[in-house]
Amino acid sequence: MLQERVNLNRSFFFSFTVAVFILGVLLGFHLRVTNAGKTAVPGDREQKLAMEKKNLVEDLYEMQLEINDLSTKLEQAGIGQKEAEEALKLELAKIKQFAGLSGVSGPGVEFVVQCRQGQTEPVSGRALQNITDQHLLKIVNELYCAGAEAVAINGQRFTAVSEIRLAGGHINVNGVPLAPPFHISAIGDASALKGRLALKEGLSDYLNVYGISIEALEKSKIVVPAYTDRLSYEYAMVVKENL
Amino acid sequence: MNKPSKTKNLYLLIALACIILGIVFSVHLRAARSVQQNESIRKTQELTVQVEQMKKERDVLQAQLTRMRGQLENMLTIGPHASPGKEDIEPAMIFAGVTELTGSGVKVTLQDGSAVQKPGDNPNFYLVHDEDILKVVNELKAAGAEAVAVNDQRLTAITGISCSGPSIRVNKKALVPPLVITAIGSPETLEGALKMRGGVVEFLQFCGIQVSIKKLENIAVPAYKGGIKMNYIAATDIGVLPVSEDENG
Repeated sequence: MLQERVNLNRSFFFSFTVAVFILGVLLGFHLRVTNAGKTAVPGDREQKLAMEKKNLVEDLYEMQLEINDLSTKLEQAGIGQKEAEEALKLELAKIKQFAGLSGVSGPGVEFVVQCRQGQTEPVSGRALQNITDQHLLKIVNELYCAGAEAVAINGQRFTAVSEIRLAGGHINVNGVPLAPPFHISAIGDASALKGRLALKEGLSDYLNVYGISIEALEKSKIVVPAYTDRLSYEYAMVVKENL
Repeated sequence: MNKPSKTKNLYLLIALACIILGIVFSVHLRAARSVQQNESIRKTQELTVQVEQMKKERDVLQAQLTRMRGQLENMLTIGPHASPGKEDIEPAMIFAGVTELTGSGVKVTLQDGSAVQKPGDNPNFYLVHDEDILKVVNELKAAGAEAVAVNDQRLTAITGISCSGPSIRVNKKALVPPLVITAIGSPETLEGALKMRGGVVEFLQFCGIQVSIKKLENIAVPAYKGGIKMNYIAATDIGVLPVSEDENG
């Protein structure tokens, strides 16, 4: 009798343990699934896609405008000699402008980059720095990222093959030595241009620590000169496509 | 007498456990299903589809744009309406970046470092950043590169290189690693400039980034395939040719 009771108790506890164990596993699994709803899509994934979409929308819009422009010119070119010449002249002017081969003007910002006058003590443990090519390179790059349409440093138009390079005691742009203070003129959306540099912990803040100041002067008309060097190509050849 | 009541008890308990198990199971199934219909997942899926579609659309437009631009360029240089100073036109188009080019040059490949990180190391240190590309490109330009592209994006006068999260954007398009910078110019000069002592390559390798430079006799640099936007440049400036017209004339 006693033996039987012990047996019964044992099998009772055994099956109860199994049932509770399965219950526990299921509960855990369930919790994980419901949690997965929150974590399966990391918060920034959706944001990134939204950003990508916004970029694409802008891109498509710009390309559509360009295609419209090109097709008007192509149509015009089909009408007659005079119209064709006119259309081609316009297209060439646009290409030259894009290349930086013509002087342009428009609203924008002029930035004055220089070492802060009279500052001899660096901010908290950093050494004061001179303005280097890297600083200017970053500034110009940031301006393009903010949608600048034409940029010049001390009158040197920045083009597709323009360098900003420390050479001796000067900084060369287009092979021309420049000295501080550096005036960077940029045509574009003034508030976007200024804002990009003035971002919290952005470039302005970063350079400030080293005793370099960036002063932004918003202007309704900024003149950016043309690139004036002769163009000569020794290595590059145009790939002609059969159209 | 004790035995039957004990077994009854046992069965009751097991039945109870089974009922609870059943309830949990059904709740679990429902939860699993509702997760799929979760708002954020649905939105993300929707966005993914949209983005994919727009990318396809962009490719179509890109092809169309390149074709049309090519037609106009052909007219400019060879057609019956070719402008008088056509020797000046081709260099201008190369300079603008609207034509595909070939020539000798170098191919620089940058890859995130593969070194095993020690705990406490900053993982950022081993990644290729927008700044690194900017440095390499600047050095290539200083060494006389005639045209530069990063992956399939031609660098133009107004190209920005930016960093958004883990991806690097050139001409506002996200690039897929490995990052390949192609430049047309004298292969020796370009390579030499990068490999200079205390130069860019040394710096990048110090940062743990894998750099490989290949000199090539024939390298292709693609054309810029985007739109040319001029929203802020005064319209009167477009259409007149202040510099070159004088030269041509």
